[in-house]
Amino acid sequence: MKNKFLEKWKSQVKKGTLSFIVLNAISKKELYGYELIEIIKETTAIEIAEGTLYPLMNRLKNDGLATSKWVEQESGIPRKYYAITYDGKETLKLMQSYWTELETSIKKITNYEI
Amino acid sequence: MKFKEIQFTDRNAERVYNNYINNIKNVTKPLSHIDREEILMEFNSHIFESLQKHKTDSELDTLLNAIDKLGAPEIVLKPLIADKLLEKATKTFNPIDVFKALALNITNGFSYIIFGILYLFLGGGIFLIFAKLINGDKVGIYAKEGQIQVVGMVSDYNGYQEISGSWFIPIMLLSIIVLYFLITLLLRFKKSINKK
Repeated sequence: MKNKFLEKWKSQVKKGTLSFIVLNAISKKELYGYELIEIIKETTAIEIAEGTLYPLMNRLKNDGLATSKWVEQESGIPRKYYAITYDGKETLKLMQSYWTELETSIKKITNYEI
Repeated sequence: MKFKEIQFTDRNAERVYNNYINNIKNVTKPLSHIDREEILMEFNSHIFESLQKHKTDSELDTLLNAIDKLGAPEIVLKPLIADKLLEKATKTFNPIDVFKALALNITNGFSYIIFGILYLFLGGGIFLIFAKLINGDKVGIYAKEGQIQVVGMVSDYNGYQEISGSWFIPIMLLSIIVLYFLITLLLRFKKSINKK
Protein backbone atom coordinates (compact mmCIF):
# COMPACT_ATOMS: atom_id res chain seq x y z
CA MET A 1 0.00 0.00 0.00
CA LYS A 2 2.75 2.40 1.09
CA ASN A 3 4.88 1.52 -1.91
CA LYS A 4 1.98 2.07 -4.26
CA PHE A 5 1.58 5.56 -2.89
CA LEU A 6 5.31 6.20 -3.17
CA GLU A 7 5.43 4.97 -6.77
CA LYS A 8 2.50 7.18 -7.73
CA TRP A 9 4.10 10.19 -6.05
CA LYS A 10 7.45 9.52 -7.74
CA SER A 11 5.82 9.29 -11.13
CA GLN A 12 3.98 12.58 -10.52
CA VAL A 13 7.21 14.32 -9.49
CA LYS A 14 8.99 12.95 -12.57
CA LYS A 15 6.19 14.12 -14.84
CA GLY A 16 6.22 17.54 -13.26
CA THR A 17 9.96 18.04 -13.47
CA LEU A 18 10.66 16.52 -16.89
CA SER A 19 10.28 19.79 -18.79
CA PHE A 20 12.62 21.47 -16.25
CA ILE A 21 15.18 18.70 -16.74
CA VAL A 22 14.89 18.85 -20.54
CA LEU A 23 15.27 22.64 -20.66
CA ASN A 24 18.31 22.39 -18.42
CA ALA A 25 19.88 19.82 -20.73
CA ILE A 26 19.28 21.69 -23.99
CA SER A 27 20.43 24.96 -22.42
CA LYS A 28 23.97 23.58 -22.40
CA LYS A 29 24.05 22.48 -26.04
CA GLU A 30 21.85 21.44 -28.96
CA LEU A 31 20.83 17.81 -28.56
CA TYR A 32 18.98 15.24 -30.66
CA GLY A 33 16.21 13.12 -29.13
CA TYR A 34 18.12 9.93 -28.41
CA GLU A 35 21.11 11.85 -27.02
CA LEU A 36 18.82 13.91 -24.80
CA ILE A 37 17.24 10.78 -23.32
CA GLU A 38 20.65 9.21 -22.72
CA ILE A 39 21.83 12.34 -20.88
CA ILE A 40 18.68 12.43 -18.75
CA LYS A 41 19.13 8.77 -17.87
CA GLU A 42 22.81 9.18 -17.02
CA THR A 43 22.51 12.30 -14.92
CA THR A 44 19.19 11.85 -13.16
CA ALA A 45 18.68 8.07 -13.09
CA ILE A 46 15.12 8.78 -14.20
CA GLU A 47 13.66 6.03 -16.36
CA ILE A 48 11.08 7.58 -18.64
CA ALA A 49 8.91 6.00 -21.31
CA GLU A 50 11.16 7.35 -24.04
CA GLY A 51 8.31 7.92 -26.47
CA THR A 52 6.74 10.46 -24.10
CA LEU A 53 9.71 12.78 -24.60
CA TYR A 54 8.65 13.64 -28.16
CA PRO A 55 5.17 14.95 -27.29
CA LEU A 56 6.85 16.98 -24.53
CA MET A 57 9.34 18.46 -27.02
CA ASN A 58 6.44 19.41 -29.28
CA ARG A 59 4.76 21.23 -26.35
CA LEU A 60 7.99 23.10 -25.55
CA LYS A 61 8.19 24.13 -29.20
CA ASN A 62 4.56 25.26 -29.25
CA ASP A 63 5.19 27.28 -26.12
CA GLY A 64 8.15 28.96 -27.83
CA LEU A 65 10.68 27.58 -25.32
CA ALA A 66 12.54 25.33 -27.76
CA THR A 67 13.22 25.06 -31.48
CA SER A 68 14.22 22.14 -33.62
CA LYS A 69 15.97 21.46 -36.90
CA TRP A 70 16.66 18.35 -38.94
CA VAL A 71 20.31 17.72 -39.71
CA GLU A 72 21.27 15.31 -42.51
CA GLN A 73 23.59 12.46 -41.53
CA GLU A 74 25.89 10.29 -43.62
CA SER A 75 23.75 7.29 -42.71
CA GLY A 76 20.82 8.88 -44.57
CA ILE A 77 18.76 8.91 -41.36
CA PRO A 78 18.70 12.54 -40.20
CA ARG A 79 18.76 13.70 -36.59
CA LYS A 80 16.41 16.28 -35.15
CA TYR A 81 18.33 18.69 -32.92
CA TYR A 82 16.61 20.67 -30.19
CA ALA A 83 17.83 24.03 -28.92
CA ILE A 84 16.58 26.39 -26.24
CA THR A 85 15.18 29.77 -27.30
CA TYR A 86 15.64 33.14 -25.62
CA ASP A 87 12.20 32.74 -23.98
CA GLY A 88 13.23 29.25 -22.94
CA LYS A 89 16.37 30.57 -21.23
CA GLU A 90 14.40 33.24 -19.40
CA THR A 91 11.78 30.70 -18.28
CA LEU A 92 14.50 28.31 -17.19
CA LYS A 93 16.03 31.02 -14.96
CA LEU A 94 12.65 31.51 -13.28
CA MET A 95 12.19 27.77 -12.95
CA GLN A 96 15.63 27.45 -11.34
CA SER A 97 14.95 30.14 -8.77
CA TYR A 98 11.57 28.59 -7.99
CA TRP A 99 13.27 25.23 -7.58
CA THR A 100 15.74 26.70 -5.07
CA GLU A 101 12.86 28.32 -3.21
CA LEU A 102 11.03 25.01 -3.08
CA GLU A 103 14.13 23.22 -1.85
CA THR A 104 14.59 25.75 0.96
CA SER A 105 10.94 25.42 1.97
CA ILE A 106 11.15 21.65 2.05
CA LYS A 107 14.34 21.78 4.13
CA LYS A 108 12.65 24.20 6.52
CA ILE A 109 9.62 22.00 7.04
CA THR A 110 11.78 18.88 7.45
CA ASN A 111 13.94 20.53 10.11
CA TYR A 112 11.07 22.31 11.84
CA GLU A 113 10.68 21.33 15.47
CA ILE A 114 7.12 21.09 16.63
CA MET B 1 13.79 15.48 -45.99
CA LYS B 2 12.02 12.16 -46.22
CA PHE B 3 11.52 9.09 -44.11
CA LYS B 4 14.09 6.44 -44.94
CA GLU B 5 13.69 2.86 -43.80
CA ILE B 6 16.41 1.27 -41.68
CA GLN B 7 18.04 -1.77 -43.31
CA PHE B 8 18.31 -4.95 -41.26
CA THR B 9 20.25 -8.13 -41.87
CA ASP B 10 18.06 -10.15 -39.50
CA ARG B 11 14.70 -10.97 -41.16
CA ASN B 12 12.88 -11.16 -37.83
CA ALA B 13 14.20 -7.76 -36.79
CA GLU B 14 12.98 -6.39 -40.11
CA ARG B 15 9.49 -7.79 -39.48
CA VAL B 16 9.32 -6.34 -35.97
CA TYR B 17 10.55 -2.99 -37.30
CA ASN B 18 8.02 -2.92 -40.14
CA ASN B 19 5.23 -3.72 -37.70
CA TYR B 20 6.21 -0.89 -35.41
CA ILE B 21 6.55 1.60 -38.27
CA ASN B 22 3.15 0.57 -39.66
CA ASN B 23 1.70 1.00 -36.21
CA ILE B 24 3.00 4.60 -36.08
CA LYS B 25 1.61 5.22 -39.57
CA ASN B 26 -1.82 3.94 -38.50
CA VAL B 27 -1.93 5.92 -35.27
CA THR B 28 -0.94 9.15 -37.02
CA LYS B 29 -3.41 8.74 -39.89
CA PRO B 30 -5.65 11.64 -38.79
CA LEU B 31 -2.72 14.10 -38.99
CA SER B 32 -1.45 16.09 -41.94
CA HIS B 33 1.18 14.53 -44.20
CA ILE B 34 3.94 16.80 -42.83
CA ASP B 35 3.16 16.00 -39.19
CA ARG B 36 2.98 12.27 -39.91
CA GLU B 37 6.32 12.31 -41.67
CA GLU B 38 7.85 14.33 -38.85
CA ILE B 39 6.76 11.87 -36.15
CA LEU B 40 7.76 8.88 -38.24
CA MET B 41 11.21 10.33 -38.92
CA GLU B 42 11.73 11.20 -35.27
CA PHE B 43 10.89 7.71 -34.00
CA ASN B 44 12.87 6.16 -36.83
CA SER B 45 15.89 8.27 -35.90
CA HIS B 46 15.53 7.17 -32.27
CA ILE B 47 15.51 3.49 -33.27
CA PHE B 48 18.47 4.01 -35.61
CA GLU B 49 20.57 5.79 -32.98
CA SER B 50 19.77 3.06 -30.49
CA LEU B 51 20.93 0.39 -32.96
CA GLN B 52 24.14 2.34 -33.62
CA LYS B 53 24.86 2.63 -29.91
CA HIS B 54 24.48 -1.12 -29.34
CA LYS B 55 26.12 -2.40 -32.50
CA THR B 56 27.71 -5.36 -30.75
CA ASP B 57 24.39 -6.77 -29.49
CA SER B 58 22.02 -8.74 -31.68
CA GLU B 59 19.89 -6.59 -34.00
CA LEU B 60 16.65 -8.13 -32.81
CA ASP B 61 17.46 -7.70 -29.11
CA THR B 62 18.47 -4.07 -29.53
CA LEU B 63 15.43 -3.32 -31.66
CA LEU B 64 13.04 -4.96 -29.19
CA ASN B 65 14.70 -3.07 -26.38
CA ALA B 66 14.41 0.26 -28.22
CA ILE B 67 10.76 -0.32 -29.13
CA ASP B 68 9.96 -1.42 -25.61
CA LYS B 69 11.46 1.74 -24.16
CA LEU B 70 9.78 3.97 -26.72
CA GLY B 71 6.40 2.53 -25.81
CA ALA B 72 3.31 1.68 -27.85
CA PRO B 73 2.65 4.47 -30.39
CA GLU B 74 -1.07 4.58 -29.60
CA ILE B 75 -0.27 5.40 -25.96
CA VAL B 76 2.83 7.60 -26.09
CA LEU B 77 1.73 9.57 -29.15
CA LYS B 78 -1.76 10.31 -27.82
CA PRO B 79 -0.96 13.78 -26.38
CA LEU B 80 1.02 14.73 -29.48
CA ILE B 81 -1.78 13.62 -31.80
CA ALA B 82 -4.36 15.43 -29.65
CA ASP B 83 -2.32 18.67 -29.95
CA LYS B 84 -1.60 18.36 -33.66
CA LEU B 85 -5.14 17.32 -34.54
CA LEU B 86 -6.55 20.34 -32.75
CA GLU B 87 -4.14 22.53 -34.71
CA LYS B 88 -5.28 20.91 -37.95
CA ALA B 89 -9.00 21.00 -37.10
CA THR B 90 -9.03 24.71 -36.30
CA LYS B 91 -7.20 25.41 -39.55
CA THR B 92 -9.25 23.25 -41.92
CA PHE B 93 -12.64 23.64 -40.17
CA ASN B 94 -13.31 20.07 -41.25
CA PRO B 95 -16.10 18.74 -38.96
CA ILE B 96 -14.56 15.24 -38.89
CA ASP B 97 -11.21 16.67 -37.71
CA VAL B 98 -13.00 18.84 -35.15
CA PHE B 99 -14.92 15.84 -33.83
CA LYS B 100 -11.78 13.68 -33.58
CA ALA B 101 -9.74 16.50 -31.99
CA LEU B 102 -12.40 17.11 -29.35
CA ALA B 103 -12.75 13.40 -28.61
CA LEU B 104 -8.98 13.17 -28.01
CA ASN B 105 -8.81 16.38 -25.97
CA ILE B 106 -11.93 15.92 -23.86
CA THR B 107 -9.86 14.75 -20.89
CA ASN B 108 -7.45 17.70 -21.23
CA GLY B 109 -9.59 20.33 -19.57
CA PHE B 110 -13.05 21.46 -18.69
CA SER B 111 -13.18 23.94 -21.60
CA TYR B 112 -13.16 21.08 -24.12
CA ILE B 113 -16.29 19.68 -22.49
CA ILE B 114 -17.93 23.10 -22.98
CA PHE B 115 -16.88 23.06 -26.64
CA GLY B 116 -18.31 19.55 -26.94
CA ILE B 117 -21.65 20.82 -25.60
CA LEU B 118 -21.60 23.78 -27.99
CA TYR B 119 -21.10 21.47 -30.97
CA LEU B 120 -23.83 19.17 -29.63
CA PHE B 121 -26.11 22.19 -29.63
CA LEU B 122 -25.44 22.50 -33.38
CA GLY B 123 -26.39 18.83 -33.67
CA GLY B 124 -29.74 19.85 -32.20
CA GLY B 125 -30.14 22.31 -35.08
CA ILE B 126 -29.49 19.56 -37.62
CA PHE B 127 -32.06 17.40 -35.83
CA LEU B 128 -34.63 20.20 -36.23
CA ILE B 129 -33.99 20.33 -39.98
CA PHE B 130 -34.80 16.62 -40.24
CA ALA B 131 -37.79 17.09 -37.95
CA LYS B 132 -39.03 19.82 -40.29
CA LEU B 133 -38.66 17.52 -43.30
CA ILE B 134 -40.66 14.78 -41.58
CA ASN B 135 -43.14 16.82 -39.57
CA GLY B 136 -43.24 19.99 -41.65
CA ASP B 137 -46.29 21.76 -40.26
CA LYS B 138 -45.35 21.36 -36.59
CA VAL B 139 -41.72 22.51 -36.61
CA GLY B 140 -40.79 26.14 -37.03
CA ILE B 141 -39.88 29.42 -35.38
CA TYR B 142 -42.76 30.47 -33.15
CA ALA B 143 -43.42 33.99 -31.92
CA LYS B 144 -45.81 35.33 -29.35
CA GLU B 145 -46.62 39.02 -29.04
CA GLY B 146 -43.96 39.90 -31.62
CA GLN B 147 -41.11 38.06 -29.85
CA ILE B 148 -39.48 34.77 -30.83
CA GLN B 149 -40.29 32.23 -28.13
CA VAL B 150 -39.57 28.79 -29.55
CA VAL B 151 -37.37 27.28 -32.26
CA GLY B 152 -38.69 23.77 -32.75
CA MET B 153 -42.08 22.41 -31.69
CA VAL B 154 -44.67 23.67 -29.23
CA SER B 155 -47.25 21.48 -27.53
CA ASP B 156 -49.95 24.11 -27.54
CA TYR B 157 -50.10 26.46 -30.53
CA ASN B 158 -52.56 28.83 -28.90
CA GLY B 159 -51.34 32.38 -29.32
CA TYR B 160 -48.19 31.34 -31.19
CA GLN B 161 -47.47 32.33 -34.72
CA GLU B 162 -45.04 30.52 -37.00
CA ILE B 163 -42.90 33.19 -38.65
CA SER B 164 -40.27 31.38 -40.75
CA GLY B 165 -42.57 29.60 -43.22
CA SER B 166 -40.62 27.91 -45.98
CA TRP B 167 -37.47 29.74 -44.84
CA PHE B 168 -37.07 27.51 -41.78
CA ILE B 169 -34.52 25.12 -43.31
CA PRO B 170 -32.38 27.83 -45.00
CA ILE B 171 -32.38 29.92 -41.79
CA MET B 172 -31.39 26.92 -39.67
CA LEU B 173 -28.70 25.83 -42.14
CA LEU B 174 -27.18 29.29 -42.26
CA SER B 175 -27.29 29.65 -38.47
CA ILE B 176 -25.62 26.27 -38.01
CA ILE B 177 -22.84 27.13 -40.48
CA VAL B 178 -22.22 30.57 -38.97
CA LEU B 179 -22.27 29.19 -35.41
CA TYR B 180 -20.00 26.31 -36.43
CA PHE B 181 -17.42 28.76 -37.76
CA LEU B 182 -17.73 30.96 -34.68
CA ILE B 183 -17.30 28.06 -32.23
CA THR B 184 -14.34 26.71 -34.21
CA LEU B 185 -12.75 30.18 -34.30
CA LEU B 186 -13.25 30.35 -30.54
CA LEU B 187 -11.54 26.99 -30.24
CA ARG B 188 -8.62 28.29 -32.29
CA PHE B 189 -8.50 31.41 -30.11
CA LYS B 190 -8.50 29.27 -26.96
CA LYS B 191 -5.65 27.18 -28.34
CA SER B 192 -3.56 30.26 -29.16
CA ILE B 193 -4.13 31.60 -25.62
CA ASN B 194 -2.86 28.29 -24.26
CA LYS B 195 0.33 28.79 -26.23
CA LYS B 196 1.05 32.17 -24.62
